[in-house]
Amino acid sequence: MSALEDLGLHERMLLTFEVEQFLYREASLLDERRLDDWLTLCTDDIHYWMPIRRTTTAKEIDNEFTKPGGMAYFDDDKKTLGMRVQRLKVGRAWAEDPPSRTRHVVTNVRILGIDGNDLSVASNFMLYRTRLNSEEDSWIGRREDVLRRDNGALKLARRHIYLDQTVILAQNMSNLF
Amino acid sequence: MAATMIARERPQWFDPATGVLDRRIFADAEIYRQELTHIFARAWNFMCHESQLPESGAFFMNYIGEDQVIVVRDRSGKINVLLNSCPHRGNTVCRAEQGRTNSFLCSYHGWNYDLDGRLVAIPGQEAFYRNDVDKNVWGLGRAAQVASYRGFVFATLDPAAPPLEDYLGWVGKLGIDMLAAQGELEVVDGIQKNRLQCNWKLAVDNLYDWYHVKISHGTAIRVGFIGEEGMAPLSQMVILGEYGHGIGGPGVTEAQLHELETRMQNGSAGEPQWYDQFAMRRLDPRLRRELGPVGSRSLGHPNIFPNLWVALTNQVCLRIPRGPFETELWWFTLLPKGMPAEQRREAIYMANHVFGPAGLLEQDDGENWSHSTRGAKGAHSRTLPLNYAMGRGHDRVSHDPSGQNCIETVVNEHAQRWTYQAWQEWMQADSWQELAANHSLPPAGVV
Repeated sequence: MSALEDLGLHERMLLTFEVEQFLYREASLLDERRLDDWLTLCTDDIHYWMPIRRTTTAKEIDNEFTKPGGMAYFDDDKKTLGMRVQRLKVGRAWAEDPPSRTRHVVTNVRILGIDGNDLSVASNFMLYRTRLNSEEDSWIGRREDVLRRDNGALKLARRHIYLDQTVILAQNMSNLF
Repeated sequence: MAATMIARERPQWFDPATGVLDRRIFADAEIYRQELTHIFARAWNFMCHESQLPESGAFFMNYIGEDQVIVVRDRSGKINVLLNSCPHRGNTVCRAEQGRTNSFLCSYHGWNYDLDGRLVAIPGQEAFYRNDVDKNVWGLGRAAQVASYRGFVFATLDPAAPPLEDYLGWVGKLGIDMLAAQGELEVVDGIQKNRLQCNWKLAVDNLYDWYHVKISHGTAIRVGFIGEEGMAPLSQMVILGEYGHGIGGPGVTEAQLHELETRMQNGSAGEPQWYDQFAMRRLDPRLRRELGPVGSRSLGHPNIFPNLWVALTNQVCLRIPRGPFETELWWFTLLPKGMPAEQRREAIYMANHVFGPAGLLEQDDGENWSHSTRGAKGAHSRTLPLNYAMGRGHDRVSHDPSGQNCIETVVNEHAQRWTYQAWQEWMQADSWQELAANHSLPPAGVV
């Protein structure tokens, strides 16, 4: 695959469209609770990571997020993601039974770079969750994904999730972002 | 006179003789206000670990009840706990959760405080105040006492509180020793924080609760994340300490420790057991000496009263009240310095995946506690008592020659009862002096 800057506008538009459609489809699988299908979109070496964000002074803003290998809210490989998915199917996954109703809104999709078969993609998201009669949570943030072309189709090889909240204003994060 | 009589009424919310609890304590603004003065302002509250303040100017923000405090190392190396409230208008002087600074400058009028809380500069001191303000008087408020036990920094707002080590007693110290005896610890960067819609006490009493594990967290067992036997109603040990400290959870026998040791020496021949993961670290003779003959057999959860849970995952969790119906959970992860890289990776993996809001166990807890809190609000439901009676009258405190007394039994609610009994004594006492004189000593005989 060529480098991003080598592509013409038309090729970039086609590629962006493909990436957007992938992200929308993936989001809809999460919202439709088709988590097994969602998992098949992940590469076997996926890294799914949400660091901890802190309120720092402007001077120390470089220390806003924890670093890879340290403490995080999510630091999953395919096996751990599989446990999260499997968990919902074995009964008595209380945080999701009755199931939450979620809606992923994905916007501001940009391809940041191309490296061989890997596309580096940034997007913004809002995840709205409501459950039981009146409980509501919402998270807004940015994702930095790596989408890998595998036999022609895109797969999710990396997802780094940067929430805008510091203290998580929810009783749990039993859902995927 | 009337006020004195009201104060002396001594409401009975909990009856230790029956294990029956008045659930209104989970949903009452007046009781909550009293907890802030009678419990949080008096107790030694966990602030942070010394490793979080490696040099002068390093600070970490925490709470004592609802008083926000800055824990900061000053130029002399001393740790100060300062109220984050400017004495001029009450504004905060620090707004970051953690970091480094040279001073605390109020964003409102520029009063500036040194790292030890002294007021060092007032804009317009001469021109506007005409030098008629005494900077020695108007420093930041501060905790009455600050002290560390093995690197764990605590503070109290009450000058009459006993010294930290007397407060902790052998049980509180043992709880911290279970982590600290592994060697010099340091906090792994990143404190997980999330907010629940529950009363703080429900989060606290759950840490002793080995009854809920298979029900609430059954999925973590069924997907193979944790072993069933380790979570089953296996042999339990409960250790109770003065002022409400306690340790409750699984325990192993000397024979089991010996069996594990033999198995390890033989190159892991023999069947793995549920206790392997946590009992492994109790094979070190130095560590066993430090924890004592009973303490080194306990694989339970300590709570430093009121709200610091010491977890087996090399973590501590603060349950911080944010109003009668809201609680923040703050998870700190502490690992021995120089831990081999592979072990460190595994420890961080466990810390990231067991607890915290996305933890494979903890994500199922929050709703139980928020709905229990809600269950204390209804006009009728709040009048109905709660049952904390499991095992009451059926167990006996065994006396160890070392002085490390404990209850060895099955799954039980001894430590929860002890927590509410102590909580009630704190609430009934009008001062530290009264609490020190009247609090219950850990029980002997049948419990």
